[in-house]
Amino acid sequence: MSNWRTRNRPLVIVLTVVLLGLMLFPFFVMMSTMLKASQEIYVVPATWIPRNITFHNFTRVWREYHLLDYFRSSLIVALGTMGLNILVSVPAAYAVARLRFFGRKSVMYLLLAIQMFSPVIVVISLFRIFARAQLIDTYTGLILANTVFTISFATWMMTGYFSAIPTEIEEAARIDGCSRVGTLLRVMLPVAAPGLVTVMIYNFITAWNEFLFALTFINARSKMPLTLGIYQFVGRWSTQWELLTTSAFLALIPVLVLFYLIEKQLVAGLASGAVKG
Amino acid sequence: MAAHVSYTLKRKPHLWTREARLAYLLMLPAVLLLVLLMVYPIVYVFMMSLYRTDRIGRLQEFAGMAAYLEVFTTRVFWETTVRTAVWTVLAVLVKAVFGMVIALALNVEYVGRRVARMLFIIPWASSVPISAMLWKWVYDHEFGLLNHTLKATGLWNNPPVWLGAPISAFIATIWVDIWVGIPFMALIFLAGMQAISRDLYESGDIDGANARQKFLHITIPGIRHLILIATMLSSLWTFNDFNTVFILTKGGPGTSTEILITAVYKHGFEWLRFSRAAVMAVVTFIILTVVSLFYAHVFFRQERDV
Repeated sequence: MSNWRTRNRPLVIVLTVVLLGLMLFPFFVMMSTMLKASQEIYVVPATWIPRNITFHNFTRVWREYHLLDYFRSSLIVALGTMGLNILVSVPAAYAVARLRFFGRKSVMYLLLAIQMFSPVIVVISLFRIFARAQLIDTYTGLILANTVFTISFATWMMTGYFSAIPTEIEEAARIDGCSRVGTLLRVMLPVAAPGLVTVMIYNFITAWNEFLFALTFINARSKMPLTLGIYQFVGRWSTQWELLTTSAFLALIPVLVLFYLIEKQLVAGLASGAVKG
Repeated sequence: MAAHVSYTLKRKPHLWTREARLAYLLMLPAVLLLVLLMVYPIVYVFMMSLYRTDRIGRLQEFAGMAAYLEVFTTRVFWETTVRTAVWTVLAVLVKAVFGMVIALALNVEYVGRRVARMLFIIPWASSVPISAMLWKWVYDHEFGLLNHTLKATGLWNNPPVWLGAPISAFIATIWVDIWVGIPFMALIFLAGMQAISRDLYESGDIDGANARQKFLHITIPGIRHLILIATMLSSLWTFNDFNTVFILTKGGPGTSTEILITAVYKHGFEWLRFSRAAVMAVVTFIILTVVSLFYAHVFFRQERDV
């Protein structure tokens, strides 16, 4: 293998560069468009490098197009989802990882299966339920919907992290007079902290990127999260692409940074059971 | 991630011990939320499919299987179902092939490999709705940089109006779904390749195996489990990819890019035919349940084997 690798290294590098060009293509387009003035965008032939680099679009989306409102909404929904999710998933995961009860196997099975359910299946009836409960156009509605669809994955991941902690640590605390809930809070959570952070960030990202629930449950501009807010630039006849790409760039920065923090654990978690061999 | 099924819990569980009661209590909030906002809505969807509904989805009178008959006798429904199957199988296959090529490339040591790995992840790390909007601009037939680049480099002097005609729209849309899914495949495969012992390759060298033989007889069997898990996960995500289709084409032109999941949404919220939407949601639910349970089954079986 090593000879093959050394011999073909230049070929591999060329291939990598070509594939990267393909994979990053829309982001190059984004960066090219966001730095142009509109007179330079809607012309034929198109240009890759802006003749006049301008940051005018950044001030425009900020001043004229409610981007701050969208950011605030996304932040509230993402933080709310993250908080509520952790509150319900951590105790459930502890129970599944450490306690003996009837139906534990089935719960594990269900957790894995539920992850695959599409929100679209329930969104038509959830809309009725939210309308009756007056949750349309509220952050609470979005937070609840996002939480429900992240519970199973979060619980699944946390169960894995809790199970990996040696029982001796917990037993020592119990002998010292710590209650079950006390050990969960004072022993298990601190030891599983890296896992907990991963799950929290994952929930945040999922809620930040969510589009379907926002599209269905939010009509008021002031309550729109970024994904839906940016979608407003897409018009029926024409789209303001310079503003869309600028907002997209700003909206992507936080999720990209967060994703890199958890990427390794996420891959391990998704493949768990199969990679450990 | 260690064993999810903890083997310290060997004694037979009891239904109503103190420990079991604590477990139920700890799971109660999660279960409550799931029952209220996932199980109940699913039951409600079943109800909607059996009733006539008004324009905001309220149940009117009981209609039995009428809506099912209506849906099952339309051609478009069957076309959409077949297209969804083609969409899923084709996309997952291409993702796996690209993922494998990238994983192999990243498994070769060179300066900048770590940077390359980071860059390859971006489409996965990025937000799918936002990526889909960016692609819509990339595909723009007048001012889009894709067609400009194809023409300027002479690769394709007369490129199609990507999202404007049935076949090119399907290719353009499925490509975006594929593009989003490639990094996941690549990273999972790479993780598997790096876990294969070097000794195996060295003994392969001693036996005089060439690169292709080593790939087929060492690498592929070594990551067989991972290929299965990644393919199944990816199939479910691909089947469920509402964002890409809805944002790029809304299923059009005509119904050339429609998949089940976007059809459900459009029947409900654009055409206000909630009973029909519910019927298709029920069909989708059944398909997803069967595949998910199969996936869970495979997953747990593998966990025992490994």
